[in-house]
This record gives sequence, C-alpha cells and structure tokens, in this order.
Amino acid sequence: MSQQVQATARKGGGFALIMKGLPLAPFSAIFLFFFCWPIFQIFRNSLSEGKGHYGLSAYRLMFTKPYMHAFSVSLQLSFFSALSAGIIGAIVAFYVYRASSGLRSGIAMLSGVLANSGGVPLAFMFIAAFGAQGGIVTMLKKLGFDIYAHGFTLYSLTGLILVYSFFQIPLMLLVFTPALQGLRNEWHEASNSLGAGNFQFIRWVLIPVLFPAFLASTLLLFASAFSAFATARALTGGSVGLVPLVIGSLIDGNITTNQANLGDALAVGMVVVSAVVMGFYGFSLKWARR
Amino acid sequence: MKTRALNYLRYAVLALGLMFFILPVASAIEFSLRSYGNKGHNLSNYQWIFQQDDFFTNLGISLKLAIVAALLTLITVVPAVTFLHLEGARYKRVFEFLAILPLVVPVVSLAIGAQKAMPTFIQNSQYELAFFYVVIAIPYTFQSLNVGLSSIPLKTLVEASRSLGASFTRTVLSVIIPAIRGSINSALFLAITLSFGEFTLTSLLHWETFPVWITRASQGNVLGSIALSMFSLIGAWVLLIGVQTAQNWKGIKLKKSAPEISKEEEVLV
Repeated sequence: MSQQVQATARKGGGFALIMKGLPLAPFSAIFLFFFCWPIFQIFRNSLSEGKGHYGLSAYRLMFTKPYMHAFSVSLQLSFFSALSAGIIGAIVAFYVYRASSGLRSGIAMLSGVLANSGGVPLAFMFIAAFGAQGGIVTMLKKLGFDIYAHGFTLYSLTGLILVYSFFQIPLMLLVFTPALQGLRNEWHEASNSLGAGNFQFIRWVLIPVLFPAFLASTLLLFASAFSAFATARALTGGSVGLVPLVIGSLIDGNITTNQANLGDALAVGMVVVSAVVMGFYGFSLKWARR
Repeated sequence: MKTRALNYLRYAVLALGLMFFILPVASAIEFSLRSYGNKGHNLSNYQWIFQQDDFFTNLGISLKLAIVAALLTLITVVPAVTFLHLEGARYKRVFEFLAILPLVVPVVSLAIGAQKAMPTFIQNSQYELAFFYVVIAIPYTFQSLNVGLSSIPLKTLVEASRSLGASFTRTVLSVIIPAIRGSINSALFLAITLSFGEFTLTSLLHWETFPVWITRASQGNVLGSIALSMFSLIGAWVLLIGVQTAQNWKGIKLKKSAPEISKEEEVLV
C-alpha cells in the first residue's frame, strides 16, 4: 500500500516535493537553533579558558569541595524524594487501580493536574501550611506536638522532600498505574492454589513482576527532582545549596573572574547526571516491557 | 470477608492520600484569609492582588507568550509529527529520540547556554521566550501528538483522498487536519499550560512574566504572596480540570457515535 502512495506521490509533483521532508524543516530549525546550539555552547564554554585557549580549569574548579557538596546535596534530595514518593505512590496506585472506573478516572485526572503544579506558588502554599506560623504547624502545636521544636524546618532538605512529594506522588500514580494493568488475577489464584500466602505472593510474584516498572518510574521522579529549580529557589532562597541554585546565582552575576565558566561546567555536570539517569530509565523501561 | 477488609483498607489509603493533598491547600487558604494585626479573616489579601497594576500587565504578557508558543508548536511540531506518520517512518525513531532530549537537559543548563549563545537582537526580544517554551514543551507535545496520531488510520485516509483525485491542499485541509484535530488541540493545550507556568528559564534570562512577577510581588507582602499563590494555583487547577472534563465528555460522546463513524468510513473506502 505504501508503494502505491509513493507511486502516486511521484506522479503528483508538488505533493511529492512537499512530502520529501519539508514538514520536518521548521521543527528541525527551532530544535537546532534554540536547543542544540545553546547546549553546544555550554560544552564549548566549559572548556574555554579565554583568548582562544581551551582546558579543564572550569572542571577542576567544579571538582572542588563546595561544588561537589552541591552535587551531593542535589543527589540526596533527588534520591530520597524519588524513593519516598515512589514507594508511597506505588502503594496508593495499588489500592486505586481496582477501584470503580469513575473513581479511577477522577484520580487520574487529579494526578495529572497535581503532577504539573510545581513552581513558586507551590512553595508559598507550603510556607503557609508548614512554615513556623503555618496552619498545620499551629494546629499540631495546639494538639501538643510542636514539630519545629523537634528539629523540623521547612527550609531544609526534609522540607524540600515534603514539598516535592506534593507533585511527585501524583506523577508516580500517573506513570506507575499502567504497569499494574498488566497484572492478572489468575496469578494470585495460582499462587494461592500452590499454597502461598498473601505475603509470599507479594514477595515472590508481585514485587519481581512490578520492580522494573517501579524502577523506571522512580528514575523519572529522580530526574524531575534533580532538575527542579523554581520551588527550591522560592522555598530556601539558596540556603540549601543545590546545583541548579548555584548555577542560578552564578548567572545572576555573583561571579569572580576565575569562575567565569564554572556555571557552564556545572551545567554540563547536570546534563551528564541527568543523561545517565534517563539512560537507566530507558533500560528499565525496556526491561519492564518484556 | 477478606475482600471487605481489603475494601476498607483501600478507602483508608485513599482518604489518607487525599488528606495529604487537601490539608496543605486548606491550611494555605486559611492563611491567605488572615489579615495583618490579627483582625480576623477577610478577603483583603485578595483585594490587594487586583490593586497591583503589574498583575494585569504580567498576566497579559504570559498569555501572549503562551499563545505565540502554541502557534509556533502548530507550525513546527504538528507538521513534523504528521509527516513522520505519513511518509517519514524512516526518521521516526531518530525524531522520537530527539524529542526526549529537552527532558534530559535540565532547564537551568539550557538557560545558561541560551544566555551566552543567542545573538543580541534575539536576547533583546521577549519573544525569544516563546521559542524556548516550544522547545521545553517538545517532549510533551511531540509525545501527545505521536500517541494521538497512532490511533488514527491517517495513511489510509490520505491514500483514499489521493486516489479520489484530491489535490495536496485539499487533502491537508479536508482530510488530515479534521482527522488529527483532537490531537492538535491537546498538544496546543499542553504548550499553553507549560509556557504559562515556566519560571526557571524566564527568570534566569531576566524577563518578567506572571510566575516571575509573583516572586517579586511577594517580597513586600507575605500574606499577599500567599493569596496570590493560592489564586494562581487554584485558577490553574480549575482550568485544567475543566478542560480535561470537557475532553472526557467529548470522548464519551465520540464513543457513543462510533458505529456511525465506521459506517461512514466504509462508504468512504
């Protein structure tokens, strides 16, 4: 059939010409100029030492203590927020997926909406709820539990993990639920008839079957937490030294001369980490599809 | 008995989950209704929002940029994906891979590159943002179109139209566009929402749009900033839920009339 189309296309001159790939041109142009070109520039600048010299001095600076610390904090935040939201999201997804279809589609819709609500307003919402004068904090205090007296503060790594879970748990629901639809009731019956209890079913059937999808979804959460900027900036104002915030302050001009290309090196560092995570994501997605 | 226990457990988990989302929202709404000097709760912080001149200016700028980004998506991403489904199967893998890349590169990294790579005349125009918004949205718009078009026998429709002697323009206007209109709509909607909420790149390139303005406006007025945040969050939620409900409703209507469509198709073929 496609040969037939190609034949007709060859006959109709204009159609054939347009179909040769012209529709890909505007997309490619925007993609090259507004994506590939800037990315190429950060790679180039990170290696530049001024006056046409190239070298690794920006990377040498990147591998010193303060910036490695920033990477370590960013990775911790991404790891713990992805893990906690991943586990909670997976459990909620498991309880939701067999609910009535109305409830299910309602929750899917809510998840879609909440998963996209990051940014500055979310940070302010949590300041109003979990800040030192926040509603929830005052309420807990009245109940006799002062969380700020027990070392909790919203403007910390723990606080950020709490805030991120507000959009990460819904994101987990969105990406993990499709994996559950591959489960078969017969598996439970089969394992029951072989004498396995619920715990054994979960340990030996459910977890091995769902693990690849869980891993893939969690890696996606990891990547989203790693590159998140707005919420962290609005919430901590830089007191938690994440890599994106360090880059942000470098762009804003808090630069001494020997740091000129440090921002580019850090940006490349983020691209590398993110690419590795997304690479693993791709692999675990393939694994999950098997 | 067991299933009933499981049911209770299910509702308990669900209720707990909902609490996690409702409590902060309710608590923040309560906070936004407080007034300075503990004079009880009122709407003064919300009145403050509308007294800000910059509120409407920045809302306008954000809307304008979002619409430009949607139009750019319409003339770049839509033709590309349509082509890949019709004739460009060879390049489909490559472009699918390319379309994921903006998700792999953190926006902060793109911003620092944009700041140095763009020529001055582009950096001087606010519309540069719309182009970057298109790029940032590509993983979502491309994927949404890609999935949408996979569910339509687009190639067969075009073959039919061509074999009936329709011209290229005619085929595009009265076969391709009507067939993929739904997918186009959701892709454009994604482009608009993502553009409207974009903060990272916009603020790092030192432009002021609605989300950036919220941060600036909040510096002098804590209660006002919370009211403003709740206003924009809830506004966005209501809008998103409204559009999705409309889409679902349309989907149900389409499903109900599905037999008729297939009859029409038979006649067409």
